[in-house]
Amino acid sequence: MDETRRRALSRPLMREDIPGTPAQIAFDSVSLARGGNAVFDALSLTLAERRIGLIGNNGSGKSSLLRLAAGLLLPDAGRVLVNGLETREHRRELPSHIGFLFQNPDHQLLFPTVGEEIAFGLIEQDVPVREANERTAALLAAHGCAGWEKRAVHELSEGGKQLVCLLAVIATQPSILLLDEPFASLDLPTRLDMAARLDALPQRVVMASHDLDLLAGFDRIIWLERGRVRADGPPRRVLAAYEAEVRGLAPEARSA
Amino acid sequence: MISGYLARGTPLHCVPAGAKLTALALLSLALLPVDDWRLLAAGLCLVLAVYAALGREALRRIALLRPFLILFAIIAAFQLLTATWQDAAASILRLVLMILLADLVTMTTRMQDMMAALMPVLKLLGFSAASRKKLSLMVSLAVRFVPLLAENWNARDEAWRARSGRRAPLRQVAPFLAETLRTSDHIAEALDARGFAANRGRRSK
Amino acid sequence: MSVRDMLLIALFAGIIAALGLLPPINLPLAGGVPITAQSLGVTLAGVMLGAQRGALAAALFLIAVALGAPLLAGGRGGISVFTGPTAGFILGFVPAAFVTGWLFEAWSARLGVFLEATTAALIGGYLVLNLLGIPVLAWIKNQTFREAGAVALTLLPGGVLKAVATGVVGYLAEGLGTRRG
Repeated sequence: MDETRRRALSRPLMREDIPGTPAQIAFDSVSLARGGNAVFDALSLTLAERRIGLIGNNGSGKSSLLRLAAGLLLPDAGRVLVNGLETREHRRELPSHIGFLFQNPDHQLLFPTVGEEIAFGLIEQDVPVREANERTAALLAAHGCAGWEKRAVHELSEGGKQLVCLLAVIATQPSILLLDEPFASLDLPTRLDMAARLDALPQRVVMASHDLDLLAGFDRIIWLERGRVRADGPPRRVLAAYEAEVRGLAPEARSA
Repeated sequence: MISGYLARGTPLHCVPAGAKLTALALLSLALLPVDDWRLLAAGLCLVLAVYAALGREALRRIALLRPFLILFAIIAAFQLLTATWQDAAASILRLVLMILLADLVTMTTRMQDMMAALMPVLKLLGFSAASRKKLSLMVSLAVRFVPLLAENWNARDEAWRARSGRRAPLRQVAPFLAETLRTSDHIAEALDARGFAANRGRRSK
Repeated sequence: MSVRDMLLIALFAGIIAALGLLPPINLPLAGGVPITAQSLGVTLAGVMLGAQRGALAAALFLIAVALGAPLLAGGRGGISVFTGPTAGFILGFVPAAFVTGWLFEAWSARLGVFLEATTAALIGGYLVLNLLGIPVLAWIKNQTFREAGAVALTLLPGGVLKAVATGVVGYLAEGLGTRRG
C-alpha cells in the first residue's frame, strides 16, 4: 500500500467537514419510562459542545440519556435528533453518526479477533471487505497496535480490550462519541492513557463518568438527578457544586 | 431468586414442606377413584376459596392454565361422545383439582424449604452428604444462570445495535456461548478456590 | 464429577430454562401442547455435553422446576406441571437429551457435525420426546393413538426447525471444548 494512500486512509474525515452540518444531539421534550418508573419527563436538551460530561448518582438517568442519544432506547414521547435525524426513523444510519462505548468491554466485543471486531462497523456500512481490512490495519498502526489484527480479544488485558472497543467505534468515523463510564474498570495508568487518546480524537464527545478529574478539562458538565438537569455549565462550577454536595452529606445519607 | 413462591403470611405458609408434600400425595391418590362430579366440584370450590384467601396474585396464577382450557374443552367434547356428561365433568374437575392442589403447595413453600424436605428422601435413597450438598448448589446455580444468560445476550444485542442499527443475528450465538462458558469456568474456579472439594485427591481440570 | 462438570450441567439446565422464556406458540390444532424453544435447549445439552451430562442437565432442570422455579415455558413451575397433560413431554426431556447426545457421540463426526447434530436432535428431540409425550397425552385425554398421533404431526415442522437449529449451533460451537471432561 503506497504512502499517499496510507495517509489518506488514516486522515479523519468528519461529517462536520461538510459545511452546514454541525454535529449535535437534540432532545425535544423527551419522556421515558422503564420498568414502570418514569425516567425522563419532557426533557429538552441540546448537546453541541466539543466535550460534554454527564455526572450524577447511579439511577439519575445518565445511561438512559446516552442510550436515547444512540437510538438504543426510543422515547415514549418527544423526539431525539442526531445531526438532524430522528432516532426512531433512522436507526440504520445512526451508527455512521454515533459511536457508543460501553462500560464493560466484555459486553461489547462481538468477535473473536481484533481485526474482525474493528472491521465489522465498516462492513456493516457496505465498505468492501478488502478496503475494510486495510483501513483496520491503518487504524491499528496509527494507535501503536500494528499487527494486532489476528490477536484473540479475550486474551487482551482490560485496557487492551477497551482500546480495541474504542478503535472499533471510531473506525466508521462517526461525528459523535457517546461513552458510558468507559474507564471505570481500568487501572490509573491505563485510564490516563485512554483519556489522552480520547482527547486527541476529532469527534464530539459526550461521556458519563464518575471520574471528576477527567471531566475537569471538559467544555460543559451536565449534572443529572432523577431524570432532571440539576446543574449545567462549565466544569469549574458544576463539578465543584456536585462534589460539595456529595461530600457534605452524612455518611448514612450518601448511600441512599 | 426467581420462584413460584408467593410471599404471604398465611397459615399454609407455616406448615412444613414435608407435611404439605405428603398431604398432596395422599390427596391426589384419594382423588383418583372419585367419580362423583358433585364431590369434585365441591372440592374445587374449597381449593378456589383457599386461593382467594391468598390474594389476587394467587388467583392470577390460575390464568397460567389458560393454554389448557382448549385442551379441557376437547377432552370434554370427546367424553361427551362416548360417555355421560357427568363423567366428562368428573374427569375435567379431577384434573383441574389436582393441578391446583399441587400449585397451592408450590405457592406456599419456598424453594429452599422444598429442597430441605427433599434431603431426607435423598438420604433414604442412598445419596451421600456430599452429593446432596452438590445437588442443592447446582439447583441454585442453574436458577442463577437464567437471568445472567438473558442479561449477557441483551448486552451483546445492544452492542450490536449500537454498531449496526439492526438486531444481533443468531450467528452471534457461538461467541455468546463461548463467553458464557468462560463465565462458567470462572465460577468453577471460584468454587474450587473456596475449597468446594468436589473430588478429594483428584485435580479437576 | 469435577467442579467444571457441575458448572456445565448447571449452565445447560439454565439454558433449557432460558429458552423457555422465549414466547411459546399455542395452536389449538396441536391439542393444547405449546410449541416452545425449550426442547431446543434439551437437544443442545445432549450435543454439547454428551449423553450423560446432557441427561443430568435435563434432570437438574426438572428438579428445579419440581422445587417450584417457574422455568417451564410459559412461566410455569412446581409439582403441578407433572400432573398436567404435558407431563410426558416434560419428563421426556431426560431421555431426549440422553439419546441425542448418545447418537451424536456414536457417529463421531463421520458425516460432519451439522448433519449429525441435526439428525441426532431430530431423533432424540422430536421422536423420543413425542414417543413419551403423546401416550401420556392420549391417556389423560382418553383418545386413541391415532388421534394423538395427529398431534405429533402438527409438532413436526417445529421439531424439524429445532433440530436444524441444534445442528447449526453444534456446528458453530464446535471448538468450545464442552465435550471434553
